[in-house]
Amino acid sequence: MSEKLVTVKINDEEIKAKEGELLIKLLKKEHMEVPYFCYHDALGADGNCRMCMVEIEGKKRPQIACDTPVKEGMVVKTNSDMIKKVRKNILELELINHPIDCPVCDQAGECRLQDYYMDYGVYEGRIDKAKKVHLQKHLDIGNNVILDQERCVLCQRCVRFTDNITKTHELGVIGRGNHSRISTMPGKKLNNPYAMNIVELCPVGALTNKDFRFKQRVWFLKSTPAICHGCAKGCNIYIDHNKEKYKDDTIYRIRARVNHDINGYFICDEGRMSYKELGINRQYNALLNSKTIDFGDVSKEFEKIIKETKGDILILADANLYLEELEAIKEFAKTLNAAVCSPLKIYIDESFGDDWLKSKNRAANAKGIQKLNIPQTYEDIEKLELVINFNHPAFKNFLTPKSISFQTHKEFEADLILPIAAFSETEGTLINEDNITQFSQRAIHSKQKIPNIIEWIEMLKDKK
Amino acid sequence: MREIKIVSKNFSVKDSHLLKTALKNGAYESIKEAFSKTPDEIIDIITQSKLRGKGGGGAYTGKKWCLMPKNPEKSFLVVNCDESEPGTFKDRYIISKDPHLLIEGIIISSYAIRAHDVYIYIRGEYYQFQKILQNAINEAYEKGIIGEKVMGHPYRIDITIHRGAGAYICGEKSALLESLEGKRGHPRLKPHSPQPEYLFGYPTVVNNVETIATVPYIIKNSAEGYLRYGTQNSPGTFLFALSGHINNPGVYECEYGVSMMEYIESFGGGIKGGKKLKAVIPGGASTPVLTADEVKKARLDYDSLKKFGSSLGTGGMIVMDEDTSMVKALKNLLDFYARESCGQCTPCREGTGWVRDIVASILNKEATMQDIETLLDVSDTMNGKTICVFAPAVSGVINAFVNKFEDEFKSFLKSVK
Repeated sequence: MSEKLVTVKINDEEIKAKEGELLIKLLKKEHMEVPYFCYHDALGADGNCRMCMVEIEGKKRPQIACDTPVKEGMVVKTNSDMIKKVRKNILELELINHPIDCPVCDQAGECRLQDYYMDYGVYEGRIDKAKKVHLQKHLDIGNNVILDQERCVLCQRCVRFTDNITKTHELGVIGRGNHSRISTMPGKKLNNPYAMNIVELCPVGALTNKDFRFKQRVWFLKSTPAICHGCAKGCNIYIDHNKEKYKDDTIYRIRARVNHDINGYFICDEGRMSYKELGINRQYNALLNSKTIDFGDVSKEFEKIIKETKGDILILADANLYLEELEAIKEFAKTLNAAVCSPLKIYIDESFGDDWLKSKNRAANAKGIQKLNIPQTYEDIEKLELVINFNHPAFKNFLTPKSISFQTHKEFEADLILPIAAFSETEGTLINEDNITQFSQRAIHSKQKIPNIIEWIEMLKDKK
Repeated sequence: MREIKIVSKNFSVKDSHLLKTALKNGAYESIKEAFSKTPDEIIDIITQSKLRGKGGGGAYTGKKWCLMPKNPEKSFLVVNCDESEPGTFKDRYIISKDPHLLIEGIIISSYAIRAHDVYIYIRGEYYQFQKILQNAINEAYEKGIIGEKVMGHPYRIDITIHRGAGAYICGEKSALLESLEGKRGHPRLKPHSPQPEYLFGYPTVVNNVETIATVPYIIKNSAEGYLRYGTQNSPGTFLFALSGHINNPGVYECEYGVSMMEYIESFGGGIKGGKKLKAVIPGGASTPVLTADEVKKARLDYDSLKKFGSSLGTGGMIVMDEDTSMVKALKNLLDFYARESCGQCTPCREGTGWVRDIVASILNKEATMQDIETLLDVSDTMNGKTICVFAPAVSGVINAFVNKFEDEFKSFLKSVK
């Protein structure tokens, strides 16, 4: 594609565009309506759905915008009567062999077919003479993906994802004509660490997420932009959550959020499923010697332990904490005359890493630790009397006479255990492994009212 | 009317498929002539001869060859022998009656386009014919006609037969190449400017069997020798074929431009049982049907059939007598298309099934005028909105049947009270 700018006319509006740029990209950029199923920015054009047809002056027939490079002087119409009829007729064809089971379909509310039908659809059925072809439904094709062949519009995004992106080639189209359907290769199942992305790629309800399906109607979900804490890559995500009446604010799924500098359009399956552990085995109560105490009594007990400590104090800070939290911990350490340390080696997991979106470094803010000059080692272990842990996994290696542990999960034993908010329940800044600084928003406002680290420190530092 | 035998000259010779018989009948005589010229000179001759592709599209062969690079790192010649068009059975005559003529054509053609590797993509159902062709290729290898050297000329040519798995769409050249690459036979998006096809990423020419088999004659007799036959825009001869309600069905080579009716009368021996002619599908099932009146006026060349809104296609004529039910005939054709649509583009995948169901309901006397209107509207959606010409062809077939035999279709409609 050249850098030359050309002028094109779209619906009587003159627009400057790069010569050779795909017309569909231009239309999307200019927020002009262009329906499509098969095209995807990450997968390119395939030209099979025929929904993105536009009228181009000088061309006898309507052209697909996803395979039309922009040229100087091109005159395009996206809203002519002819184009409206084409869209309507093609949608009608898509629906012939579609079960039209929106009321029980998980995709309803975020389904392209449903949306386009409302925009361009036909409201008088005339497909009574067409006999529906029946194909297989609720096929478990592996990696938490469920396939319904009847709902499929054969856009082949999933096939192209496994062929061109993961190059694992598990999926293909079998059969011909209206018996064409997506299938895994005989005797095979989806088997790659990014497979669940095809659920998001699927524009309709053909591929659904086994973990998410039937849990929530999507229009009830709130989406909060956040950063995945699964590894140092810093993939951008949406946390989709909802607070149902009489229930607590709950995460139902994690989706990829587009960021061309980091994760593109995708995330790994492990990151997608990582929300699960935010709900299990959580530390909700403050415990003193294994006995529950009120949050109001914590500062008194904390002060007592500090006062009784004559030896050295070490604070361990998890490399998954936000920069703001780490700063607060550093300041807090000064008031306690304590050292701060965050061993980073413990986060390295060679078996997790790959050359795409999965980093072997499983600390979301390891660069943040380095940036704040928090040491990774501590020498005088013998002189230590007290370790105050902020969720660091290496805490189990420190056997000191006294210990205090701020933790999200019921993970460690300590004299004083204090619950803290998990990353989804608070907000802050992270630096990923490529030195990109990003902000992760707070998604969850729980009934549990667990303080985050900054709130704890505010509570404790005055009382010292 | 006389037969003009250019490609079919040895069809009636006994054991014509064997190398020794073929050599007696002049096989491989044009090779020496061809290698005395440069590749570009051969392309020029083919361009001058106005040889048109004989697989249905009728594109100029010379133009296709001109698109090939002059110094390719690697290039291919692919011979399209996926002859699956209903009513078409000419290529199998060539590969079973005179396979050495095809090999001779392959040698010259691949020399002209600077290709060393040739694939013959043959439909899987042609098992017996494929065996004959493979034997001929083996004989040619043994005698040094192909292989490291072509009859002593330092030019390597290897020919490989690839059998298709039984999909009609693989006769479409880009779907054929996809299939040859080991992928699903889906037609590719068409390029925005003229360029060759690509196989495994290398420039490739795809030609029909008969086109390639015509090349030796042109080299031997020059472009003028070929231009002697046929008309201005349809030069030369074509292996026209007849099937259906005809006394002598078969393949009869003849020059372009002759009267269609005369061809049917003189080669086909008239309509079976002395009945009257009702309609003819001129060039394989995908060409719009002609009524008896149109057949009387039509000539067998590209221009004439275009005037009637049809096309010459593969030249395989399906003749239908007065007792033929056009609704049944259309249903029969649509059954084929619904089964053979590759399923890539929405209008074709869903449209072919729907129009088949509508015509079936007409046939069962369950349809109303509304359904015929729907049929024509769906047919319109299928026209010009897909990657390849499969759906537009089906659309043309439906429109011709319904519009030209409107009264017959109406007579099948459910009587409205």
